[in-house]
Amino acid sequence: MRILFFLATMIAAVTPSFAHHSFAAEYDGEKPITLKGVVTKVEWENPHMHFYLDVTDEKGKVEEWKFEGFPPNMLVRQGWKRDVTLKIGDTVTVFAWKARNGLNQAHSREITTADGKKILSGPPAGTGGGN
Amino acid sequence: MKYLIPALLCVSLAMAQKPPVPKTADGKPDLSGIWQGGGAAGLAFAIGADNAKAARPDSSPAQGGRGGAGNAARPEPAPYQDWVQPKLKEIRDRRSIDDPSGRCLLVGVPRITSMPLPIKIVQTKDEVIFMYETFHAFRVIPTDGRKHPDDMDPSFMGDSVGHWEGDTLVVDVAGFNDKTWLGVGGASIHSDALHVVERYRRVDYDTITYEVMIEDPKVFTKSWNTAPSFLSLRPGERLREYECIADNQDLLRFEELLKTPSLFVRPPQ
Repeated sequence: MRILFFLATMIAAVTPSFAHHSFAAEYDGEKPITLKGVVTKVEWENPHMHFYLDVTDEKGKVEEWKFEGFPPNMLVRQGWKRDVTLKIGDTVTVFAWKARNGLNQAHSREITTADGKKILSGPPAGTGGGN
Repeated sequence: MKYLIPALLCVSLAMAQKPPVPKTADGKPDLSGIWQGGGAAGLAFAIGADNAKAARPDSSPAQGGRGGAGNAARPEPAPYQDWVQPKLKEIRDRRSIDDPSGRCLLVGVPRITSMPLPIKIVQTKDEVIFMYETFHAFRVIPTDGRKHPDDMDPSFMGDSVGHWEGDTLVVDVAGFNDKTWLGVGGASIHSDALHVVERYRRVDYDTITYEVMIEDPKVFTKSWNTAPSFLSLRPGERLREYECIADNQDLLRFEELLKTPSLFVRPPQ
């Protein structure tokens, strides 16, 4: 995992500033997180998609998490379909980086669907300047 | 071996079948079409690595792609004057939270070219028109010998005038304000003395090479050639609406973070 994270960081360091805002100010590239939950809401809006998961911990407590991702304009070009690829009720696992504000918010990178299919949902850590 | 010969034949056929560079009625290379900037890495970022590989099988971000567009070339660093260094450090320490593009402001030239959304180019006899999905920016670039107007107001995208040098469209951009970040090659700050010269050359059917020279005597010690890049043709693509302000939740989160800088500012080292 550490190697994966190192590679992600290296890629980010050489990735030109493609994004429209700083990733690093808002999200901590040193705090990766993987969460499994049920999709409760999808905000298919530019400049960035957001979606919400209900995540149940081992004690049965349910917490809501909010994730940011690519703009819909980019998602459709990468093969996503609105209301199909990710929809309310889907159980998914999300790899993301936590927000610096300490809330249950994160920047998603990859979603694994219930059938094991992996799809990119957002840019690598560090995109947009300032790792 | 029995698979190698058919494979080579397929490659040869694919190369032979690539259409020639289209020409306009007056014999100029026609840049018209929908394109994605940012070279091989930009294409992979914009449409996904697998799609990019299918679209340009002989390009890869690591190799910089074909067309001599060496994304992998060691780029020349931005030649900033010493007085700018503390400001650049502050930008790094604040993790670029102040990037004007985060507020959906027009990103200027050349940064607009490498954004991960497509560009539509329409070429006429006297003008080349660039329409950018990013922030709905546009540039109408005269190529009929016109000079920059005398009454340029400082602007985010500057004023562009073009001319042809052989098969290369050369665009001179001036009249910028100082409210954007350069956003290329690790550079950010510039002044209202910014002057950009872009060179677009359609080297094959699906490639426009893109070279940029930047001058800014108020912040740079000399002129700066940024790393060469290229635009990839995007057949079948269309421009979509990219409304940036209405749901820009990042801006609200930035405002909250700015109330507690210790949450995001890099600690002193």
